[in-house]
Amino acid sequence: MVDIGRRSLLGGATAGVAAGTLAARARAAAAPDIVIGAVYPLTGNAAPIGHDAQIALALEADIINGHYDVPMLLGQGGGLPALGGAKIKLVFADSQNSPQIARTEAERLITEEHVVAIIGSYTSATAVTISQICNRYEIPYISAENSAPSLSQQGLSWFFRPSPTDFDFSKSMFDFFAAIGKKTGRPVRSVAIIHENSVFGTGSAEIQAALAKKAGIKVLADISYQASTPSLAVEAERLKAANADVVMPSSYTSDAILLVRAMHDAGYAPKAILAQDAGFIDPAFFKAVGPLGEGVMSRSSFAIDAVEARPAIPKVNAMFQARDAGKNLNDLTAREVTALQVLADAINRAGTTRNTALQAALRATNIPGNQTIMPWVGIKFDATGQNTEGNPVIQQYQNGVWHTIFPFDVATAPAVWKVGT
Amino acid sequence: MSTAIVVQVALGGLLMGLVYALVAAGLSLIFGLMDVVNFAHGELLMLAMYATFVIHENSGLDPLLQLPLVAALLFGIGVAIYRGLIARALGVRFNTGMVQIFVTFGLSIFLVGAAQLAFGADFRSISNGLLANRTVAMGAIVLPLSQVAAGLVCLIAFAALALISRTEFGRALEATREDRDAVALIGIDRDRVFSIGWGIGAATVGIAGVMLASFYYISPTVGGNFALIAYVTVALGGFGSLLGALVAGILVGLVEAMTALFIDPSLKQIGIFAIYVLVLMIRPRGLFGRL
Repeated sequence: MVDIGRRSLLGGATAGVAAGTLAARARAAAAPDIVIGAVYPLTGNAAPIGHDAQIALALEADIINGHYDVPMLLGQGGGLPALGGAKIKLVFADSQNSPQIARTEAERLITEEHVVAIIGSYTSATAVTISQICNRYEIPYISAENSAPSLSQQGLSWFFRPSPTDFDFSKSMFDFFAAIGKKTGRPVRSVAIIHENSVFGTGSAEIQAALAKKAGIKVLADISYQASTPSLAVEAERLKAANADVVMPSSYTSDAILLVRAMHDAGYAPKAILAQDAGFIDPAFFKAVGPLGEGVMSRSSFAIDAVEARPAIPKVNAMFQARDAGKNLNDLTAREVTALQVLADAINRAGTTRNTALQAALRATNIPGNQTIMPWVGIKFDATGQNTEGNPVIQQYQNGVWHTIFPFDVATAPAVWKVGT
Repeated sequence: MSTAIVVQVALGGLLMGLVYALVAAGLSLIFGLMDVVNFAHGELLMLAMYATFVIHENSGLDPLLQLPLVAALLFGIGVAIYRGLIARALGVRFNTGMVQIFVTFGLSIFLVGAAQLAFGADFRSISNGLLANRTVAMGAIVLPLSQVAAGLVCLIAFAALALISRTEFGRALEATREDRDAVALIGIDRDRVFSIGWGIGAATVGIAGVMLASFYYISPTVGGNFALIAYVTVALGGFGSLLGALVAGILVGLVEAMTALFIDPSLKQIGIFAIYVLVLMIRPRGLFGRL
């Protein structure tokens, strides 16, 4: 109570001399923190992902605020130079992975915490509500790792997504099929699609089915299931009966664990699993399924092994490991680091936190890929707020490590390809 | 669709149904005994799974061998919950129903939070148990050994519950259920019966938790996946009926599997709830309910 009294007293005093030089000098001495909101599932079924996101974002804030001298944009530290060294301050909110709660939490961050922008949110279903509320209050929403293509087609002018979408990701999967088929002489003739039935899974499956048709690949099964189901045994039976060349899942962690175990329990070992990221790249997934995870392929927008072209990776990864129980950066955490970097860069170029200036600066974003930790060409937003220069890679889990296997020119290991054998 | 797949899916549904039945049995027992719906029932399941995980991590003791240990632990937890919370809630003089609902509901939120604090939100699992990743094949039918074992253990647990109901304590339980005020007149300690009832209810779900832990993932919110099905199972089978829980559990498992196979996997819960609504319309007290 005493604290509040003092603060409001100070506020009154500052207002009184607002025109004077005193206030201006006080501002220059210590630039006020820039408050950025982050909405993630910190409890509930997706909490492990939210926990990692919290660490990744805090790490990037530290890199910008502190003095770690990381060879990338804003990696020199010391706050935002154009705002007198202003520091980034993060405020986290828990979406519990529910679109409704995500919406109210985003609104609370905007109206009560006065955040200048929001970063989020892992699941695309929560991103729908957060991005819409941000649009209503006219503050930017930076989508770090939501991959549903429909998000950037909502006609929102405050939505910005540095990451590729499931359209780009799925396209690269089918490019990979064509290329590996040519290379090995053992092409993919059929796929089985299995997906959770929210925005993410449904959107991903639709694109995959369309791309398969275009590529002349048969879709032998297209299975939709409800996320966090107690059992995926029947779904596994259906996949077994379909016996396609490649199983293509779009699943979150808990379901990914169940699915891989259920396929094994049904006596089914698919020749290839090419996952739409998400649960299949969660370290908890590999811990849970052990050897069953070997050989799993996933699209990724991050390549931890691209250290030559992206010199910042080793240092950022080492810092992340030190903070998150030795875990490596993965496709999700790397994109969270990058999302905050992109936002901070825009605030810095805007030179202010005023929303319209920030929006204009985000639209003018032009970051070359080698200034980030991502393997992308760069970051440039189109009219829908979608990055046009983010290109995905395909990775495979070999002997307990992710290796980039496609595009071949950036591959660090040959693909273990069992289709057609 | 070949017959082999249908048989395979039906057997899988049956095995899962036995697990559902055992989870529901504890809930049904407590409800039948004292008209208290335990909203923290799924979290008791979660506690049992974490207990199995922690014991396995620290001592290497196989989940199967932990059955008596975890059952005893959960019995203790059940008694403690009754003594510490439920007994007090029962003593409230006004709005008793609400108080009972909120006390178990609050307990469930507390337990989920406590588990996340203690174990983190990461998904855990026991991947090197005796039963892990083994399958039994009979021709074209392949079943996971862990789930076959879980089904058998659930049947044994039901047999044990049936035996208990024939003992003197079982009769005291039945009498208390019939008229909780009258039993005091014939020298039955109502409080003792209630607390042992909670103990048995929790131990039952504990056994289900141990068996689940050997093939399912473990996380603070894992109980929720099973709790909703358990409530449906109890209502379907009839509140307080042991046989009802068993039959309804199997029915739910089968309906779920068949809906997923013949209609659409994303609609499998609709199959369960359709049966539930149907039973409510035709026989509101549930299949074997006596209320």
